Amino acid sequence: MISPTQRILFWSIVWFCIVILSVPTLIVVGASVTAGNIISFPPDGFSLKWYGEIALARDLRQAFGRSIIVSLICLAVSVPVGTLAGLALTRYRLRFANALQVYLLLPFTIPLIGSGIGMMLVFGSWRILGSVWPVGVALAVINIPFIIWSVSSSAASLDGDLELAAANCGAGRVETFFHVTLPGVMPGVITGGLLMFVLAMTEFLVSLLLTDARTVTLPVQIYNNIRSIITPDLAAVSSVFVVIALLAVWLLDRLVGLEIFLKSK
Amino acid sequence: MTSKLTRRGVLRAGMATSGAALLSGLPATRLLAQEPEKPTEIIVRAWGGEWVEALKKGVSDPFTEMTGIAVRHDLTEDNEIQPKVWAAVAQGRVPPIHINWDTTTNATKSALRGVTEDLSDLSNLANTTELAKPVGLDGYPLVNTYGYVYVLAYRPDAFPDGPPNSWKDLLDPKFKGRIALYNDGIGFHFPAQVAGGGSLDDIPENMDACWDFVRQIKEQNPLLGEDPDFTTWFQNGEIDAACTISTNALGAKRNGVDLAWTVPEEGCKFDTDCLWIPKNLPENELYWAKQYINLALTQEGQQVWLDGLGLPGVVPGLTPPEGLAGDPSYPTEPEDFERLIRISSAVQVQNESDWFAKFKEIMQG
Amino acid sequence: MSQENDTKTFRYPLRWRIMDALEAALDVLWPRRLSPYSGWALIMPALLLVGILVLGLFQIAESSLHVLDRSTFMPAEEYTLANYEMVADSATYWRVLWRSLLGAGLTVFFTLLLALPYSYIMVRTPSAAVRKALLVALFLPFFIGQVVRAYGILIVLGTSGAVNDVLGLFGVEPVRLLFNFPAVVFGLVQYMLPFAVLMLAPALTAIPRETETAASSLGANWVRTFWHVVIPMAKPGLVGAGLVVGTLSLTDFAMPAMLGGGSQDFIANAIYDQFFRTADQGLGAALALLLVALGSILVGIVIAVFGAGTLGMGGKK
Repeated sequence: MISPTQRILFWSIVWFCIVILSVPTLIVVGASVTAGNIISFPPDGFSLKWYGEIALARDLRQAFGRSIIVSLICLAVSVPVGTLAGLALTRYRLRFANALQVYLLLPFTIPLIGSGIGMMLVFGSWRILGSVWPVGVALAVINIPFIIWSVSSSAASLDGDLELAAANCGAGRVETFFHVTLPGVMPGVITGGLLMFVLAMTEFLVSLLLTDARTVTLPVQIYNNIRSIITPDLAAVSSVFVVIALLAVWLLDRLVGLEIFLKSK
Repeated sequence: MTSKLTRRGVLRAGMATSGAALLSGLPATRLLAQEPEKPTEIIVRAWGGEWVEALKKGVSDPFTEMTGIAVRHDLTEDNEIQPKVWAAVAQGRVPPIHINWDTTTNATKSALRGVTEDLSDLSNLANTTELAKPVGLDGYPLVNTYGYVYVLAYRPDAFPDGPPNSWKDLLDPKFKGRIALYNDGIGFHFPAQVAGGGSLDDIPENMDACWDFVRQIKEQNPLLGEDPDFTTWFQNGEIDAACTISTNALGAKRNGVDLAWTVPEEGCKFDTDCLWIPKNLPENELYWAKQYINLALTQEGQQVWLDGLGLPGVVPGLTPPEGLAGDPSYPTEPEDFERLIRISSAVQVQNESDWFAKFKEIMQG
Repeated sequence: MSQENDTKTFRYPLRWRIMDALEAALDVLWPRRLSPYSGWALIMPALLLVGILVLGLFQIAESSLHVLDRSTFMPAEEYTLANYEMVADSATYWRVLWRSLLGAGLTVFFTLLLALPYSYIMVRTPSAAVRKALLVALFLPFFIGQVVRAYGILIVLGTSGAVNDVLGLFGVEPVRLLFNFPAVVFGLVQYMLPFAVLMLAPALTAIPRETETAASSLGANWVRTFWHVVIPMAKPGLVGAGLVVGTLSLTDFAMPAMLGGGSQDFIANAIYDQFFRTADQGLGAALALLLVALGSILVGIVIAVFGAGTLGMGGKK
């Protein structure tokens, strides 16, 4: 059905995309196993010494730990908040629904640098800047539309009669929620939750504004180190991110299937 | 809580009575009885690359060895840490760092704003030269630790006719895209004023000559970066010449890149860097931060640290690193300073932001 | 649900009792007569969370009305519009703004140019394995994050990097590929591609295959089919993707900072510089507020022209 010229043209574009998307990643991973002391590709012999190096580097390890904590806090805040909001937007008749949507999209429409600076000023005046947990909250704020969006698109395809049926059978509101509504939107919650976690793991700009040496997270630490001499240990740290990304993609595929992103709403 | 406070009070009293003895840098073990509680780590803001390596070797590692306190280096840029420290002090929070390794101009701004601790009671200040004392400030809100020159560093391959005589040599079309400056132009403003046909006496009132010259340089598409960038760029063959502190060129040279530097006829800017401690640190952490700076002012500390940087220090009797005795980037004698440009700290503090802004404005065009 | 707990003779399973306790608690906290407001109760946490941003905007607005006092390096007490005048009078900021807009425009163009065929092939391919591979190729960089990707690009495009090595095989002298405007745009396109494809794909899925078959059976070649059938029907997706890519790249910080070599600042970098290099919080705040306004105007225009459904979160309505 697709004509030969179209096939050739489109596939060459697709291959070009694959190359520009993947080559930097592959090179980073490749460079991380070099035996030499400077970044080079092809790598200068094979060795895992830079992985040993980063496993010993206390600041990198701590930054990694903080990134995990920040992402978990982000998850703990955003999943309940986003799920409820997603349900509210689809299952309830709200007045000013359009205005609410515009408001809830503010994290997307306000540029990250603006959100970051705003929260830096607000958290500063609340005297909580300099702790780790506000960073997690901030990342929940800037990415919350992702989970609202994924929950509400799940909820939209859920038949409302199911909830009524449950209530008819004598289920209370809590029971209906946990046994009917929540399982129904679970794909959306999982997708949204994974997105929130991974985006918090990799978020850079807002974290840069909200952290200092005591609270620095891994992406900011990498950025700071890149501004120093670029040594292969950074490639090794970056490869850790590649592994996390692989894991997340695999989980997403296992739990809900990547094809969920192709569905038209 | 109360017991802790009393403990602190006792410690403070102890410190006051035996202050001089405490600060004299005796081996830590012998002072155990009077020492305030040790934090697990102190955080020192530093420049990356060669800079942090040298500090680690000369001061941080010996400090850890002596006290058991780990030292973490925060590589946030000096300009970027400044508002974070200011905000923390203004909001009554513990500042993000214990010690700031800073340019004297920037540190003076912080001192004027009143966010720095006084360091007059450091015992090792007694051995320092005139250079250590901040100009135009009361006491020691900061301590200068060495001087440096923003030299013209170059790859000899790119200058077959010998070292460049003038900053104007960089205007040769063959250097288009092959030169580098600091991203705020620091170190370049004053020689540019001379190269542009102006006079140093006109700084800060009339710097048209400087901006004219910067505009000409802009046509050469210079790369703009921070200290470690210069080393990386020289090492990767991205640039042929740069206006940078000699340390960055020395870093690449020590890694085997053929590099040299010179002070052209228009002169080069001489300045100092310093160490200071922000206010609002817990009492015990302040004590140990002071010990760190005190260690940085010992002769051994200075010798190793500044061997790494290749720069002249503030205590007498240091041996210049190999090959740097008499080098233009290592001024020690009065005649060494003849071709170097020194502008008063007050003028720089008042105007530096404007110069940075103006430089950026031209470069972003 | 009646609660006749005859606990002495029979204990309900623990789970039931917890559930009952929760129901009872909910009845006290949120009686059924409040149910018309339940939707509001559910959405309230999200409204409060986003409220932090609104507070932040107010703080930025407040800061923007104070100039920096150079004698104490503190914001001056009095309120003034001087920071805005400074921005308006400064040629630099206009140039930086223009560069950001141009960069964002080019990024949108190239990203959509690449994303449209990519999504089309991904949606239309009969092979599930190919589809999955294309999805994985997309998600992997999406999940890796901007800093690490920029770092990868730095290595690939460096003067002694992989691309120059390959060029060297053909006898081409090493070229400076980094630290210029095209490098920043390339980085942005690379960064935005997954966003664009993920927004386009559902729109393309919605186009029935039959419409294309119909068009070609009526004699239209593929270019005409694509131009007259696919693109118009994919318009909501294209607009949505374009909007997201445009606003995100207009306000990006990391790519210009890392790939621009210091002279390719976008607005976000200028704002950051005011806050963290010149320590002029007021001026930085004024710039930040202008950027927020600019972003909102762009989003507003697109929504006004193409309808609010472009970024809809509410699902079917």
